[in-house]
Amino acid sequence: MIALRVTDLRVAYGQVVAVHDLSLTIEAGDALVLLGPNGAGKTSAVEAIVGLLPKRRGKVEFFGEDISAMNTSAIVRKGLALVPQWRELFPTFSVEETLIAATTAADKREPKSLESIYDLFPVLQARRQQLAGSLSGGEQQMLAIGRALVANPKLLLLDEPSSGLASGVMRTLIQAIKRIRQSGVAILLVEQNMEIARSVGDRCCMLAAGTLAWQGPMQEAIKHDEAARIYFGDTRA
Amino acid sequence: MSDKRFGFAGLGPTVFILICLVAGLALDSYPKYVLAITIISMVIGVALVVLVGLGRCITLASGSVMAIGAYAATLSMVHLGVPYAAALLLAILAGAAAGWLIALPGTRFRGHNLAMVTLVFQSVCIILIREAKWLTGGAEGIRVPPPSIMGWRIASDSDFLIVIGVLSALIVLLMTILVRGPFGKNLQAAAGNEVAAETFGVSVPGYLTAAFVVSSAAIAFAGALAAPRIRILDPDSFGVLPSISMLAYPIVGGMYSVWGGLLGGGGLRVLPEFLRPVADYQELFFAGLVIVVVMFFPGGLVELLRRGSALVFVRDAKRGSAPIPAAAASPIAAAAEADASQVLLRVEGVDKHFDALHAVNSANLMVPVAGIHGLIGPNGAGKTSLFNIISGFLEADQGRIEFGGTSLLNLRARDRIRLGITRTFQHVAVFGQLSCLDNVIIGRGRNAVFHSMQQSFEYFIDGPGAVAARREALVALQAVGLVDQAHSLAAALSLGDQRRLEIARAIISEPKLILLDEPVSGVSESEVEGLRQLLLRINAERNIAMLVVEHNIPFVAKLCRTMSVMGAGRIVAEGRPAEVIAMPAVRQLYFGEESAA
Amino acid sequence: MLAELGNILIAGIKFGAIYALAALGLVVIHKATKTVNFAHGAFAMLGAFGSFLIVVHWQGPYWLAYLLVPILIGIIAALIEFLILRPLRRADMFTVVIATVFLGIALGEAFRLIYNTELLAVPGMFVGAPFVVSRVFVTKETLWVIAGALVTALACVMLFHHGKIGRGMRAMASNVRGAQLCGYSVDRVYMFAWFLGGALAGLTGVFVAPITGVSVELSIAVITAGFVAGVIGGFDSLRGAILGGLLLGVVESLAAAYVSSAMKNCVSFILLFFVLMWRPEGLFPERVARRV
Repeated sequence: MIALRVTDLRVAYGQVVAVHDLSLTIEAGDALVLLGPNGAGKTSAVEAIVGLLPKRRGKVEFFGEDISAMNTSAIVRKGLALVPQWRELFPTFSVEETLIAATTAADKREPKSLESIYDLFPVLQARRQQLAGSLSGGEQQMLAIGRALVANPKLLLLDEPSSGLASGVMRTLIQAIKRIRQSGVAILLVEQNMEIARSVGDRCCMLAAGTLAWQGPMQEAIKHDEAARIYFGDTRA
Repeated sequence: MSDKRFGFAGLGPTVFILICLVAGLALDSYPKYVLAITIISMVIGVALVVLVGLGRCITLASGSVMAIGAYAATLSMVHLGVPYAAALLLAILAGAAAGWLIALPGTRFRGHNLAMVTLVFQSVCIILIREAKWLTGGAEGIRVPPPSIMGWRIASDSDFLIVIGVLSALIVLLMTILVRGPFGKNLQAAAGNEVAAETFGVSVPGYLTAAFVVSSAAIAFAGALAAPRIRILDPDSFGVLPSISMLAYPIVGGMYSVWGGLLGGGGLRVLPEFLRPVADYQELFFAGLVIVVVMFFPGGLVELLRRGSALVFVRDAKRGSAPIPAAAASPIAAAAEADASQVLLRVEGVDKHFDALHAVNSANLMVPVAGIHGLIGPNGAGKTSLFNIISGFLEADQGRIEFGGTSLLNLRARDRIRLGITRTFQHVAVFGQLSCLDNVIIGRGRNAVFHSMQQSFEYFIDGPGAVAARREALVALQAVGLVDQAHSLAAALSLGDQRRLEIARAIISEPKLILLDEPVSGVSESEVEGLRQLLLRINAERNIAMLVVEHNIPFVAKLCRTMSVMGAGRIVAEGRPAEVIAMPAVRQLYFGEESAA
Repeated sequence: MLAELGNILIAGIKFGAIYALAALGLVVIHKATKTVNFAHGAFAMLGAFGSFLIVVHWQGPYWLAYLLVPILIGIIAALIEFLILRPLRRADMFTVVIATVFLGIALGEAFRLIYNTELLAVPGMFVGAPFVVSRVFVTKETLWVIAGALVTALACVMLFHHGKIGRGMRAMASNVRGAQLCGYSVDRVYMFAWFLGGALAGLTGVFVAPITGVSVELSIAVITAGFVAGVIGGFDSLRGAILGGLLLGVVESLAAAYVSSAMKNCVSFILLFFVLMWRPEGLFPERVARRV
């Protein structure tokens, strides 16, 4: 069953075309990694999928339902959650209140219990009453993931969860993402960090300058050093 | 090129008022009165175009400023026996002072805070006038003595119409000169994009203060002109509601041109005379009109007329591409081969913290004279912070930045252009409301407030200074291949062309260094190579050094002679592009630890 | 001497409580939607007018005015959000401020046309002799206004800080994108914030009507007082708005009594100016949290 099907998605800011006719699909329970250098349009693509950015054209289907014209809150309530690049937490909310607020997105589904989130990230339980704004970078990232997860989504989009984090925290995150995947949630991961990408994803799409430059199994991408070619250009020239 | 219609078009509003005046002399007594008051509203409309339209400052204090002018003139005539002509001058001074006073908080706040500050200023002024009975006659009002100018007693309706018409035409002429000249353009630039304006030496607080002073002086003058016509001044006729109605003038008429102020002020003032039966509804009608205009026709009446006329008269689509004087068109003679070993910009040990985040960690960087240096790194590496410290929009916690031996720390962004540093912006920051030519002229950097006011007169008569500035700008536009677009609005260009326009604006002052902030971000693949060629040519022909921050590594690698790579706030590698890219440390930065192996 | 001061303070607190209510409505709308509603004073004036219609014109019971008017004004505010503010959501602050300024004028003029008169008087809810405690006079009406306005204001703060709807508004205030990702709809939260702000303005009008009557000037008085009180409180803090309102009321009352009655209006100017210039975060800001 196809969880997400994106067809000919185009995203533009004024005259700047950030994403150029992108098509991709994710099977239910699958994990896809979106790779690409800065400015390739990865963030624009995922933000347009959840409706945070307007789409110029193209179609987005979620479990067969056309969600192209819906606004973000409606899309999120369908069970498509995003952990945004800049986390977008509420600094004045406590950890617990943040999670409670996010259960709104469960809509008619049964939300996950807060305990299940604390089970995934025990440090959040210890910080339960602390304000989100006072957490460390890694804890904030965990809270952002917990916030997306508490509404019991069917597909989780993660936009560069590793950015600005120390490698110890990164390992915790990788473990958590693997566990989320094992629980049956499909994952679309936007990453620059190959280490996370290869340990989470099976398939990989590479974006460059807003277009799909390469796609295939993760192993192939690593073997042929596709990423380096796309990032740095042909350095032998 | 010299545009012959320039001077004539600038005279239009003045001539229009004079025509109104002459035609009005044939009218009856009451229409003469209405016409005189209407002309005064036109002056106010134009004054508010300066402040509200070009400066984008919301003011709800126009009524009190008008009162200040009217009372200053009247009181000096009543209590000091000053002649009317001198009283008019006093009114201008009082208005200018009031404008400066409002600008004190006015330049610090925009939007709702400014609206509120002006509203409270308005209320307090009226209260003070009402309370100072011994001076102003209080709420009952004060009789304005019949004026006379050099022995001529102004008494009949025709006399008033002549005096008001002629003096209004004069003040509108002055404001037209300012609006159409560099002063108006710079003011629009300051209101449109503060960061870009400051980069080119346009002081935003300076220009906004000037806008308050100029427009308040003109409104006060209008008040003083109206005073004898009204005969009895009382504070309540200058209240909040009239203030708000005046704010409607430029919005309904069109905020960006003198004609908009004339049409809005004149039209809204005279309309109720024709709509007598529904005069009761006029305020409601005006308020509704303003809401409709801001929602659906942000350009106002002038924009509607322009579109209408464009439908009727098919314009000759484009003026022929401007001929450029041969001498100026040749590229600037290639200067002597610069000594590349000489250091132009030196950054040493720069540190910057944002709370717990160590954004820049003792960074060192060096750009040689006439060199091209690149700065790359993954998201969040601190490139932008370091770039902003160098360009003066962020203060470093520690470290030294030297440019040709001068320290750049503690130097405001707008002062860097004098040393020979200009920049472009990641999110293109052209002044969209201005033509390409005007954008580039601002790049010359001679933008002090008084200088630009003086220059406005020079431009009005199309003097040698104006011609020279235009020629320089055309040369710069030609260098980037935009000379055909010189008269198009910058907002109408494609993104790639806007980037070119930024480059033209950055090179016209013949700087020693250009800071390029992601010069190809968002630009289509096909235009990237063109921009690279352009930058290389400018570097070679003009010996301008460049510091480039960019995500597109293949582009930087082909453009730069040396580059630095940042990661987590530190400079992790530097050297020639090919060597840097091959370093394991750089790969690790982009792809994580394992791929470094 | 002391009794005089007592009377002045009570009058000040009475006005202050009303200012607090006015400021609260402005702050609720601003906090949730980032818009300063310059039509707020006009909403309050319409509320006072509604009170006049119910109590004087139709001779209805006073409690009906307190019940119906806030709901009606709230609905009007929500409608205005839908018709005017929503299309302007992508516009800059300049445009939005101009739109709400002229919206206020339009509403005021609409009232003036319906009831072609300068001033409509509205009786108080309570009549009767004041209580006298050691020469300090307190009427039932005064007690009712102070208690009623402050209790409503505190209830509103509770709703905002602990209720489910309040959580949505605070999330939206804190981070619009984050709130959307939590399933809150911008349209619904904005509309509700306007409803709540409008209802508070309507209630302000009902409370103030017996003191000032109904006139177009009322709308300017309410927006000025509400805005200044809001700025004193930091404009993003609900508790600050209440404290700011009370402070403004008391200071105005003291200035009117001990300096001159004209000074009363100048006080708000001086306070606004000094707070904006030297403490733009307000005198009673909310606890400051680090940016995320």
